Amino acid sequence: MSFKGTDAMLSRVAENLYWISRYLERVESVARLLDDSFQLELDAAGLHAAAAGERPVESVLSILGCKEAFLTQHPNGGRAEVLKFLTFERDHADSMLSMIGRARENARGTQETLSAEVWGQINRLYLYLCGRQARRRYRTSPSRFFEGIKRSCILYTGLVESTLPRSEVYHFLQFGRYLERVMQLSRILGVKVHALRQVEPLAAGSLRVVYSTSLLQSCSAYDAYIRQAHEQIDPLGAVGYLMLDPDFPRSMRFGVDRACNALRAISGGDEHGFATEAERLLGRLGSDLRFLDLDEVIHRGLEQFLTEVLTTCHRAAHEVHQTYFLT
Amino acid sequence: MNRRVFDAGPFDQYERNGFDEMFAEDGRPRSHYGALYNRLATLSTEDMESRHHMADLVMRRQGITFTVYGRGEGLEQIIPFDPIPRLISSEEWETLERGLEQRVRALNAFVHDVYHDRLILKDRVVPAELVVGASGYQRECVGLRVPRDIYIHISGIDLIRDENGQFLVLEDNARTPSGVSYVLNNRHVMKQVFPFLFQQYNVRPIDDYPANLLATLRAIDPSGRDDPTVAVMTPGVYNSAYFEHSFLARQMGVELVEGRDLFFDGGYVYMKTTRGPRRVDVLYRRVDDRSLDPLAFDRTSVLGVAGLYGALRAGNLGLANALGTGVCDDKAIYPFVPEFVRYYLREEPILGNVETFRLTEPSQRQHVLTNLEKLVVKAVDGSGGYGMLIGPASTKAQREEFARKIEADPRRFIAQPTISLSQHPTFVDGRLEGRHIDLRPFVLFGDQVRVLPGGLTRVALPKGSLVVNSSQGGGTKDTWVLRGDPPEQNEATGELQGD
Repeated sequence: MSFKGTDAMLSRVAENLYWISRYLERVESVARLLDDSFQLELDAAGLHAAAAGERPVESVLSILGCKEAFLTQHPNGGRAEVLKFLTFERDHADSMLSMIGRARENARGTQETLSAEVWGQINRLYLYLCGRQARRRYRTSPSRFFEGIKRSCILYTGLVESTLPRSEVYHFLQFGRYLERVMQLSRILGVKVHALRQVEPLAAGSLRVVYSTSLLQSCSAYDAYIRQAHEQIDPLGAVGYLMLDPDFPRSMRFGVDRACNALRAISGGDEHGFATEAERLLGRLGSDLRFLDLDEVIHRGLEQFLTEVLTTCHRAAHEVHQTYFLT
Repeated sequence: MNRRVFDAGPFDQYERNGFDEMFAEDGRPRSHYGALYNRLATLSTEDMESRHHMADLVMRRQGITFTVYGRGEGLEQIIPFDPIPRLISSEEWETLERGLEQRVRALNAFVHDVYHDRLILKDRVVPAELVVGASGYQRECVGLRVPRDIYIHISGIDLIRDENGQFLVLEDNARTPSGVSYVLNNRHVMKQVFPFLFQQYNVRPIDDYPANLLATLRAIDPSGRDDPTVAVMTPGVYNSAYFEHSFLARQMGVELVEGRDLFFDGGYVYMKTTRGPRRVDVLYRRVDDRSLDPLAFDRTSVLGVAGLYGALRAGNLGLANALGTGVCDDKAIYPFVPEFVRYYLREEPILGNVETFRLTEPSQRQHVLTNLEKLVVKAVDGSGGYGMLIGPASTKAQREEFARKIEADPRRFIAQPTISLSQHPTFVDGRLEGRHIDLRPFVLFGDQVRVLPGGLTRVALPKGSLVVNSSQGGGTKDTWVLRGDPPEQNEATGELQGD
């Protein structure tokens, strides 16, 4: 590999950074999902859906792949238990508190490479979540609480953008963030589209709109979509937008491109080739998404495509691990 | 005592005991403390509370914590910070600075001598068995050359003030003294808590410490490369001083490495990076001598690098501090340090020692054993306030236990008279009270000797306590070394600034 020698960083630190941004991206995503599904349940639509299948808040457990873990701990758990399980539960590795705790532990071990502002922000978020104020706010209004978490995560992202030079430190953070984003989106689409299918037979038109809206909102994509779609929301349009739009920062295509760019910036490669296997994998997925036709994907089976995306992401993560973290 | 002075606001219950840093014998504020006194006298309790709280918050948010051992796994705490600054006049500091430089040069000459010609042992200035038996003495260092013959690149010399206001050295820390990150952060906090008061005093800046530390480290680079690779080596995130290791690495812009990030190959030490191995030229290690290399020292250590000692032997690695400097941290060596100054530098020591009884001398041992209730007994390799007997505060059973230990192994202990540390106004429960303090200045020795103006003032927060260690309920204060004359004692100045 033809690397410039000036910009190297410790392998251990690079791995820590990668995980910090993956955890925080996931926390932001969980906050958004919970907020959205909680609001959906407050609507009458939630009750209606309960008859048909999984309730919105429970579907978050499926998206995060921790439904079994939840049911083992809380066999008869309802909405309140699910929310708690995913926010403050110390014994659950994928609760917000646990993930932020790990992000903070990693950040504490890499403080010297992050800016003081970035480390301070992660630390503050952790201390907030451990303290009484967070629980008080959560009891008063879950939505306001989730909103606060989202803002804290976005502030972290903003501080990364505005205080870190575009060195390897930054690029490993970027890679982790976008890889996680693509993986989250694949799971969200998988579960939500499945739910949509279940609802459809008995659903009137309005429920389709409600569910499509919810799908877009759980990716903060509603405003952006509606501005460019100019028409009533339909499920296929929403799915297509979230997967293939080139400019929306939470779309799959956008995320794959950014993750790939970050890897190229690290290896010093360019768009015409690849220096590592991870670049090749993500580069190929990126061009698939660029030239795909949505009907074609649906025809071949959306679920299967999403599974392939996840497999590619896992393989890319493994390759990065081999190339950069084990040296 | 002047009632009028102590009637004022938060001073209403103030008691002067022993040497007081702020108040002279006549009860009036010393001249350089005048402006600070006037400012404090007008502060309300609420005002003081809010400044105290502000300081606490700043520290917690930036994660300025240390880890307490023994009470649950990795409990993080902040060291209590007292917002009342300790002032040192420019004349006092001038003497201290010369005294510290002199002491560190003498200690360094001693370490070099011990591992090479051993002239001081041959001349019987200090008993050879005391030196070779010191816990910090490393026989692997005999004949080992170090860059520029400098061993003690970073030291922290603990000073106290006796009842006459005389500065004395209490102990030398020549291994890996910690606390400098608190010095820098305390200053940062003080500028937020008392900005105008700070400006009013002409305080010597300390922000150049990281740059000076880096210059010191680069001065011992053996490679002669244009841009040598310097790194800070930490035992890891669970070490009690981890924040400091990380802070210094960040401030110097160098990597913070752990043993597992490093490996030894062909005479050199390398770190594992995303772009393959990279040679390390200088390590500022915060890992003990014995843990540094499992091949050469402690085989069970997982914190070190197998082969690191080989890089030292080959002369390919600058290590700060050098191996073996712990020989001067041994408290049985301490009584001889003033002699080192005379022996190596042919000068009279500027800084005195606390009177110390050597228990290996039969007459002194007898004296100590019959006067245990008046003395302080310390283990020669103890630190952090552990393993000591404070005579006046001890029970009969404790004294008997120490007497047995001393008789069994007199080399392991020393004894000193109980000295009363100076006291300083400190914020306690909404008002100001006197609390005992000491001072740990930091001295860098590389291309030149540089003394950080000020240092870490530690304060024993429990009333009457003489133990300032953070592990035993100690706190810290910002230390202001003044430049030129102190500000006017005019009562109006504090008010005008609206601090």
